Amino acid sequence: MNFAALKTKTVVWFAALIVVVNGFFPALWILFTSLKTENELLQFPITYIPRDPTLVNYYQAFTEKPLHLFLLNSVIVAGSSTIITVIVSALAAYALTRLRMPRRNLIMGLLMAVAMFPLISLIVPLFQVMRELGLLNTYLSLILPYTVLSLPVCTLVMASFFQDISPDLEAAAMVDGCTRVQALFKIVLPLAAPGVFTAAILAFVNAWDEFLLALTFLSRETMRTLSVGITLYQGEFAFPWPLISAALIVAIVPVCILIAIFQERVVGGLTAGGVKG
Amino acid sequence: MKPTKDLSERTLGWLLLSPVAVLLAIVVLYPVGQLIYSSFFTIRLTEPWLGTPFVGLENYARAWDDERFWGALQNTVLFIVVTVPGSLAVGLGLALLANMPFKRKWPVRLALLLPWALPLVFAGLIFRWFFDYKLGFFNDILMKIGIAPQAWLTDPVLAKIAICFTIIWKSSSFMALVLLAGLQAIPKSLYEAAEVDGASKWLQFKEITIPMLMPAIFVALIFRTITAIQTFDIPYAMTGGGPGDSTETLAMYIHKNTLDFLDFGYGSALATIMFVVSIIATSGYLRYTQRSAGRD
Amino acid sequence: MNIKKLVLAATLASIAAGTAWSQTTLRIFTGGQQRPDVMRKIADEYEKRTPGVKIAVEVGGATSDAQQQYLNTVLTSKDSVLDVVLIDVIRPAQWAAAGWAEPLDAYLGADRQKVLSQYMKAYVDANVVNGKVISLPYFADAQFLYYRKDLLEKYKRSAPKTWDDLMETAQIIMQGEKNQNLRGFETAGAPIEGTVCTYLVPLWGEGSDITKNGKLNLDTPEARAPFQLMGRLKQSGVLSPNVGEIATDRIRINMQAGNLIFAQTWGYVWNRSQNDADSQVKGKIGVAVLPSSKTGKGATCIGGWQLAVSAFSKNKAEAAKFVRYLSSPEVSKMQAIAASHLPVFPSVYKDKEVLAANPWFEFAGPIVETAKARPVTPRYQEVSDTIRSNMNAYLSGTKTTDVALGDMQKRLSPVFK
Repeated sequence: MNFAALKTKTVVWFAALIVVVNGFFPALWILFTSLKTENELLQFPITYIPRDPTLVNYYQAFTEKPLHLFLLNSVIVAGSSTIITVIVSALAAYALTRLRMPRRNLIMGLLMAVAMFPLISLIVPLFQVMRELGLLNTYLSLILPYTVLSLPVCTLVMASFFQDISPDLEAAAMVDGCTRVQALFKIVLPLAAPGVFTAAILAFVNAWDEFLLALTFLSRETMRTLSVGITLYQGEFAFPWPLISAALIVAIVPVCILIAIFQERVVGGLTAGGVKG
Repeated sequence: MKPTKDLSERTLGWLLLSPVAVLLAIVVLYPVGQLIYSSFFTIRLTEPWLGTPFVGLENYARAWDDERFWGALQNTVLFIVVTVPGSLAVGLGLALLANMPFKRKWPVRLALLLPWALPLVFAGLIFRWFFDYKLGFFNDILMKIGIAPQAWLTDPVLAKIAICFTIIWKSSSFMALVLLAGLQAIPKSLYEAAEVDGASKWLQFKEITIPMLMPAIFVALIFRTITAIQTFDIPYAMTGGGPGDSTETLAMYIHKNTLDFLDFGYGSALATIMFVVSIIATSGYLRYTQRSAGRD
Repeated sequence: MNIKKLVLAATLASIAAGTAWSQTTLRIFTGGQQRPDVMRKIADEYEKRTPGVKIAVEVGGATSDAQQQYLNTVLTSKDSVLDVVLIDVIRPAQWAAAGWAEPLDAYLGADRQKVLSQYMKAYVDANVVNGKVISLPYFADAQFLYYRKDLLEKYKRSAPKTWDDLMETAQIIMQGEKNQNLRGFETAGAPIEGTVCTYLVPLWGEGSDITKNGKLNLDTPEARAPFQLMGRLKQSGVLSPNVGEIATDRIRINMQAGNLIFAQTWGYVWNRSQNDADSQVKGKIGVAVLPSSKTGKGATCIGGWQLAVSAFSKNKAEAAKFVRYLSSPEVSKMQAIAASHLPVFPSVYKDKEVLAANPWFEFAGPIVETAKARPVTPRYQEVSDTIRSNMNAYLSGTKTTDVALGDMQKRLSPVFK
């Protein structure tokens, strides 16, 4: 009995160790690097824990480039596109699951097909579209494509949530005088809250990570997002890892806080999404 | 039901779908149309005096004879074949581990989320550094246990291994999240009943966990496959396609032809081919949704 | 609320994009590596002298490739957002062919000959395409042979004139020093632009070139020489086994840490290695022209940045005036002192203040004069990609000389028809 309990405990601890090391190691590596001097970094053999921890890289990361602006831009772009994605995909998912639409499978299939188009190959025609709409160097030039980027997965997740909600609840609300749209916002969406959170997190992380479009559509330095802004610390003639690491830490901390707060919901949200498929 | 209600429901449905339609029209359909159209022309911005003549399927024929295209396709297929099951296996492993009864759940959860939250470009850069010949972590470990350091990123086989490793690391966390969610949805009572029947842990895994997890696995696989077809950032950051062209993917070759060589006709043809490959690779899934819809 | 926020953001952004429209605003695009801070100072000076003109400096991606990818997108769409663009020395031919650069001949007018005669000849060649002035040089650069003066003195060797000489010297010093970390020679080997020069410099040293009278010229024994040379250097341990992942800045880091005897790289290394606090080699470095084979006529790879006026600019005349200012001996001197940028005017190399700030310009000047241009073709990007990826494959040991050269011929013959 005692031995079995000990065994279980050991196994659990070991499992935790593997998962934690796998997930945290690169992040810890960056954290340690951000506290090293460039000189120490280039030492051979390599060091792991910084010998002379310094915060100078963080200071430099903010003074050499407008890191605070990159952060703000990322928040604006990722935040707005998340909100739009959630609204648009909620409407679509509702139409596709709760309304008796003709050919809804075809529509769903088309939506999925859209996700399969390699975005990289669309850069040039997209650039032309953005220019014609006068959106270059505005946040909208990223918000629109990012919304589309996350639409398929978000619609899928929300659709699977909506399917779980009994139509009777809605019918009851409509008997009480609600319109369809009111029923969506008052009954269906709150009940599908975990799905909404999941979709939101997915959309946010997608937008936060994107690089190629951000590099091309927002060329002004003050408009840059984090993923692009940080790569600008490097150059042909320099690759200041400690500086880049410090900036990276600044970039991943907000996402970590966000997902740490919502992690229960993200995992919970994917439950229904995953199982219903 | 009365037909009028049907109609209004249909109208409402289209109304609700209209924002999606508008967005897709601007961001995808119009550019895609332009792309497919361009693939039938010679559009070489480096030599504008050639004009933009219609050449029919010439760009496609050129791809057929282009060894580098086939090499890139081969690499892309390799990355799909290795990293999709690879990240599924690792993701499943992580999910099973993370599903153990911990007192404190957040460190494990956060550990699953961190690789997902790290932008792809930086995952590539960080692992390039880990695999660095001299300053890399992996060679440091090898030397500490008395093995000669390896030229990870300049040997074609090792470079492919290093890239697959990185892709699996980066993508398995999202897999694990989806699968963990699936695991937690399996009713405990099923296992309790199996326990009473005297089923071994392995039998429980095989007969309960895997079948119950299938839908979650399926969703995870689809999204992983789509992203695997488009593999770009990680090899771009780690090897730039090298040594030679031995780790170049289709997406990288398309990027090169359009944004570096300014050969839009050919680049568009390649992108169209890639789109068709994506559709074929995921058509099984599309058929599955049709069937499951039929069941409803 | 959310919509409101969005509209607000969009409005703010468009306001930011449209500031200072009351007068002419010239937008100049520069890379992050070309000292945008110094460019800003020069622009401030120009604004003071030229009322009614404002200069906005836009900083692009970090590498030449990244910058050009962005510019390709902008210019393909015939966007007028940029007026003046700083371009790499390898690009004027491509810009001329694509019609992206406004030829400057008309703006130079009668001064054309006088203006061109001031520059080093290599830069006139690089910027004049088919008789038209496509761009004007901003600053120069070239690849140099950096060597450890102290070690060469210790072993009584002089700076090598030939590659064999370099290999022998490196081997002697490596054997004598018995330092595990000390390597003989390093040059770019990763699939980057610098690796093109790793192939071209030894090829030029043989007195040969990629093309002959506009036709591909890789059928020669000389075309094999660069591969064979690098193979010998690698086999003898002079060149590091991981040369296939060596990119530009790694060479500087290794040189600066005292781990290299010889290095083939760009001009910026001198200042970093002599001024950085952590440098182990202050006062111990010499520069020379890159070795050649027996002929003794070493040639180096030209570098540097040029100023082009965008063909889609709405302020071409103002832009051209600004370019002429930026490409003047006066600005060249300002850059040399503030940023240690190599001048494009022979006269500036002799300037006392410039030499006081950069004593090594005395040696650098004559080497820059020997610089040669990489193949001039509108399809340079394909040429570069072919050479760098084959050289990288060879250095990584995945292709033999025959295969690498064969693949190069196959890919390059449609370019040089």
